[in-house]
Amino acid sequence: MRKLLTIALFIIFAAQLLVPAQMIHQQENILIKGTSYKFKTRPIDPTDPFRGKYITLNYELNSFQTDEDWSNYSGNVFVYLTTDAEGFAMVKRVSKTPLDFDEDYIIAKSNYNYGKTVQFNLPFNRFYMNEYKAYDAEISVRTAQRDTTKICYGLVYVKDGTAVLDNVFIDDIPIQKFVNEFQDLN
Amino acid sequence: MNPKLERALPELIEAQVITSDTAQKITAYYLAKEEAKPNRLFTIFGVLGALLSGLGIILIIAHNWDGMPRNLKTVFAFFPLIIGQIASTYSFLKKKGTAWIESSATFLVLAVGATISLTSQIYNIPGDFSEFLLIWIAMTAPLIYLLRSNSTVMVHLMLITWYACDLGYTYRGAMPWWYLLLFAWLIPYYIRLQKQETKSNIAGILNWLLPLSPIIVLGTFTTGGNLSFLMYLGLFGLLYNLGELPLFKNQKLRRNGYTVLGSLGTSFMLMLLTFEWFWIDAIQDSYTSVEVIITSVPFLMALIVLVYLHLKKHTKGFNLFQYAFIIVGALYSTHYFGYVHSVVLTNILVATLGLFAIRIGIHKSSYTILNYGLLIITVLIACRFFDSNLDFIFRGIVFILVGLGFFFTNYLLLKKQRGTALQDNPKTEDHA
Repeated sequence: MRKLLTIALFIIFAAQLLVPAQMIHQQENILIKGTSYKFKTRPIDPTDPFRGKYITLNYELNSFQTDEDWSNYSGNVFVYLTTDAEGFAMVKRVSKTPLDFDEDYIIAKSNYNYGKTVQFNLPFNRFYMNEYKAYDAEISVRTAQRDTTKICYGLVYVKDGTAVLDNVFIDDIPIQKFVNEFQDLN
Repeated sequence: MNPKLERALPELIEAQVITSDTAQKITAYYLAKEEAKPNRLFTIFGVLGALLSGLGIILIIAHNWDGMPRNLKTVFAFFPLIIGQIASTYSFLKKKGTAWIESSATFLVLAVGATISLTSQIYNIPGDFSEFLLIWIAMTAPLIYLLRSNSTVMVHLMLITWYACDLGYTYRGAMPWWYLLLFAWLIPYYIRLQKQETKSNIAGILNWLLPLSPIIVLGTFTTGGNLSFLMYLGLFGLLYNLGELPLFKNQKLRRNGYTVLGSLGTSFMLMLLTFEWFWIDAIQDSYTSVEVIITSVPFLMALIVLVYLHLKKHTKGFNLFQYAFIIVGALYSTHYFGYVHSVVLTNILVATLGLFAIRIGIHKSSYTILNYGLLIITVLIACRFFDSNLDFIFRGIVFILVGLGFFFTNYLLLKKQRGTALQDNPKTEDHA
């Protein structure tokens, strides 16, 4: 009985190690082999009791006009991507089921649709930041966007429907560096 | 050994109440009991230490060390987990004492949370807080049985309650179905604990925590209508009847969270149901079949326990608290015929419950239960003054009467206790 318990205990320990290891492997694989896209966004700062402070990213890309009626649809939506002339991500097509196209796609959640426009929330909307920088990130980006034409975007790697948010940039400057400069000035 | 007892022993020997031999036996008994104490204290401090250091690691991780390279952070993510696993393996394989097992298991549970936190943070992995908690709980739930750790049970119970609240009470308002499975996961361990270590501290603590968790969570399974009142009434009925099982009833009341929470909850819910608005709304409400089924579940479970108590002849005499949920359930099914009869009968039911509590209090010579019964009646009267147009003189007289009731019943109980004390020890009559 004790031998069985020991084996079971080691199986659980292995699972405890494997789950985060698998998470890391999957994310690293996307970062290395995935295609990168830039999504225009605006950050706000909430807190998670265990994972720390993060900024929530409100993406400009949150709806798409289609030919079919999406009224009352609620669930996953497959968002197929392309890029515009400036290199920012834009939607090429959307679907309720996966399509047989060789294009990058993201699985987003869709709620409260009406008519032929489909609304969706991109899943990579959390960016964890240092506890002293998250709030200033929100303030600095808001100030920058109000005063100038600075663009805030999230750099996202996409592969096989899964996406990893690598970093957030303000006019090609990583947000951490941008906040550092903002804090030095204030 | 208790200093009071230590001082009393020579006096008792001198007064020839006990022999010196008996005094020696008493001393030896308490000394043996005290020897077990340091170990218990060591366990408590060990668990507290593990809990604090585990939470400390989580907080340090939550700071987010953005100056550190990603690879290094990833390696650090596994540090607390591996330390927790090594400590648990050591205490399990070497069959170390309770203090080791409990401390290492508590640390391991928190370390799992810390590792997932850090991984999510490094890669900005999306997901709600409830999803994060669910993964954490699933990865640590087997430790309860494998390491036989009581502190893990408590942490598990807290985490599943938090998970259900986060999912059910926040803006998403989803029903936390996984909670039911994760709660059921604890039951076999809890039953074993109750059978093997009935009088242990942990069994007593779990007798409170276990019923408290579904009380907190039940609201997430309701859609907020009047049925939620009934659902809670069913749950409190279930808890009260569970508290009547010999396993719990034979324990001190302070160790029987089922009876206390069941009784308090039943009284509170019934007090709300004595207002007319509940029954007026009930006539207008309409429900889906799913809502009705969900509401029926605690009712049915309470009914099953009640039938079991009767079949096994564990019910001595009639106790209205055990049946209150059935009476209100039956009244609710007649709400199509109007509300007046339901309002009147619920008021009578609450008043009768108060009287029952007074009777139980006198029977058990318990001031707490006696005054609890009086409090039920007082609150009922106070509630009726909100929705009735009785004049001030009448209200004043009723309050004076209830006040006198408090005084006389407590006096009667005091007299009864004195009478019993005199019968047990007639000598004290001379001193009275």
